[in-house]
Amino acid sequence: MVFSSYDRVMAVLNGKPRYFDRPPCVNTTSVATLDFMEAFDAYWPSAHHDSLKMAKLGSASHRLCSLDNVSVPFCMTVEAEIFGSVIDFHEGSVRWPSINKFQITEPSDLTIPVDVSEAGRVPVVIEAIRKLKEEFDGVVPVNAYMAPPFTSISSYLVDSISFLKWLRRSPETVHEFLRATIDIYVEIANLYAEAGADVITLHEMGASTDIISPTHFDEFVKPYIREITRRVKTPMVLNICGSTMPILESMMDCGATAIAVDERTSIKGAKSLIDSKKPGYPIIGNIPAYDLIHAGPVERIVEAVNGAIEMGVDMVAPGCDFWLETPTENIGAFVDAVVNHGES
Amino acid sequence: MGESTRDNVFRKLIESVDLGDEDLAAEWANKALEEGVPPYDAIILGLAEGMKLVGDKYERKEYFLPDMLISADAMYAGLNILTPHIPKDSNKSKGKIILGVVEGDVHDIGKNIVKVMLTASGYEVIDLGRDVPTPEFIEKAKSEGAQVIAMSTLMTPTLMSMQDVEEGLDKEGMKGKVQTIIGGGSVSEEWRERIGSDAYGKDATEAVSKIKTLIDNIIAAAESMKEGSS
Repeated sequence: MVFSSYDRVMAVLNGKPRYFDRPPCVNTTSVATLDFMEAFDAYWPSAHHDSLKMAKLGSASHRLCSLDNVSVPFCMTVEAEIFGSVIDFHEGSVRWPSINKFQITEPSDLTIPVDVSEAGRVPVVIEAIRKLKEEFDGVVPVNAYMAPPFTSISSYLVDSISFLKWLRRSPETVHEFLRATIDIYVEIANLYAEAGADVITLHEMGASTDIISPTHFDEFVKPYIREITRRVKTPMVLNICGSTMPILESMMDCGATAIAVDERTSIKGAKSLIDSKKPGYPIIGNIPAYDLIHAGPVERIVEAVNGAIEMGVDMVAPGCDFWLETPTENIGAFVDAVVNHGES
Repeated sequence: MGESTRDNVFRKLIESVDLGDEDLAAEWANKALEEGVPPYDAIILGLAEGMKLVGDKYERKEYFLPDMLISADAMYAGLNILTPHIPKDSNKSKGKIILGVVEGDVHDIGKNIVKVMLTASGYEVIDLGRDVPTPEFIEKAKSEGAQVIAMSTLMTPTLMSMQDVEEGLDKEGMKGKVQTIIGGGSVSEEWRERIGSDAYGKDATEAVSKIKTLIDNIIAAAESMKEGSS
C-alpha cells in the first residue's frame, strides 16, 4: 500500500500507531530558499504579499524534493505588523523582513484590528492556504505557521531589550501586552484553519531557555499558548528552536498536538522524558538547518537523520527555518535519507 | 585605607551587579571614590568581576537573558560614575583601536567592558557601536590609521560578518597591516583560525592583554624596520 504525505503526517498527529511505512519528513516553519524562489519565480519580498507566489514558494520543497508538507508564510512579522510594527521588506533584495524602529512602547500604542481577516498580510496568507488546500487536499498536509504572542511581541513588536527587562522589572506590563493581543492570535489561527490549514505551528523561537528562564516560560508563555490551543481545534505544533530541555515538560503541557525542537534539544533526552510523562506524545526534529541541511555533506545529513529516527523521533524536521542559501540537492538528500531509512 | 575597605567595596559592587541593582551599584561606585579606591580597580575587580559572575551563572543556566540585561544596567550605573575619574595613563595614546559589534548583532555588553579597560590602559578607542556594517570597520581603520580592529558577536549567525571583515581587509591589501582580534559568546579559537584573524580573546581581560601584544608587536616591527633602513 502506498501512503500519502498527508496520511503519514496526520497519523502521527492523530496519535495513530507509529508511522505506516516511515516517519514523515517535514518542516513546520519556513521552507523558503533562494533556489526555490528562482525555480518558481517567487522571490521575496513579493512572495510575502502575493498569495500565488507564496503558495508556489511554500510548496516548492514538496514539488522539487518531496518534503511531506507544504508551509506558509515565511515570516514572523505578520502578526506584529497588524498591531502596528512597521516592517522593512528590504525591497530589491532577499532578506528576512525586519523592524528598523520599534514604535510600540506601551500597551496603549497597540492597534487592535476590527476585522482580522482583512488586517495586514493575513488575507494573503489565507488565500495562499486556500490555493494550497485546493491543490493538495488530503494528499499533502498544509502547514501554516505563526509567531505566537510571546515571540511576536518580544521580538517584532517591542524593543527586545526593554521587553526582556520587563520580565523582571515590570511583569504586569508584559501580561498587559499578552492579554491585549491574545484574542487576535486565536482569531488568526482559526482563520488559517478555516482556510484549510491541516496543521498550525506556533513558532515560539523567542521562548527557549537560551533566552528566558523556565520560570518565566511558565509565567509568560505557557498560559497564552494554552489559551490558543484550547480555542483552536486544528492540530497544532509548538515549535521552539534553541535549548528546551528544562522546559520540555512545560511544552508538553501547552496543549499542542506535538512539539518540535532543533538540534539544541536532544531527541534521546526528550524521548526519555516523554516516555516517563506522556508516552506516545509526538516529537518532531532535530536535524541542524544550518550546520547540516545547509552545509552538508550528504553523508552527514544521512547519519543525522538515521540517528534521529533510531532515537524515536516521530517526524524528521529541522525544527527551524531552512537557511535561505540551502542547496536544493541537500534538501533532497535530507528527504531521501528519511525515505531510504524506511526501506532499509 | 585598609584592605578590608577595598575588599568590601569590590564585594558590594559585585553583589550589586549580580542582583541587577542600579541604585546599589551607584551607591558603591560613589563610596569607592570617597574611600579612595582607584576607579580602575573598582571597575575591574568590582563591576567587571560581577559581570563575569553573572556570565558564569548564565553559562550554567542559573541566569537567563533578562538577568544579564538587568545586571548590565547595574554595571553601567557604576561605570558612568567611575569612568570619568580614571586618570589618563600617559600623555600620549599608546595605539588606536577600532572597536565594534559586527553587523546583525546588537549585544554589546562585552564590547563595552573591553572599551573601558582599553581606554583606562591608555589606548585610543574608536567605538563604532553595535550592528556595524562590514565596510565601516575597514573604512574607519583606514581613515583613522588604526593598528587594530576588534570585533565581537554573541550570536552564531553573525559569525560570518567577521569573516566578511577579514575578506574585506584582504581585498584592500590591509591584511596584516591592520591586526584583528575577535571575541564574544559564539566566537572560538577554532573560528579565529578558520577566518584568519590575528587573535582571539576569550574574555575582556584576555582581549585587552592580547590587543596590547598586537600593538607592541607592530611597534617593535616598525622599530626594527627603522633600524634596518638606517
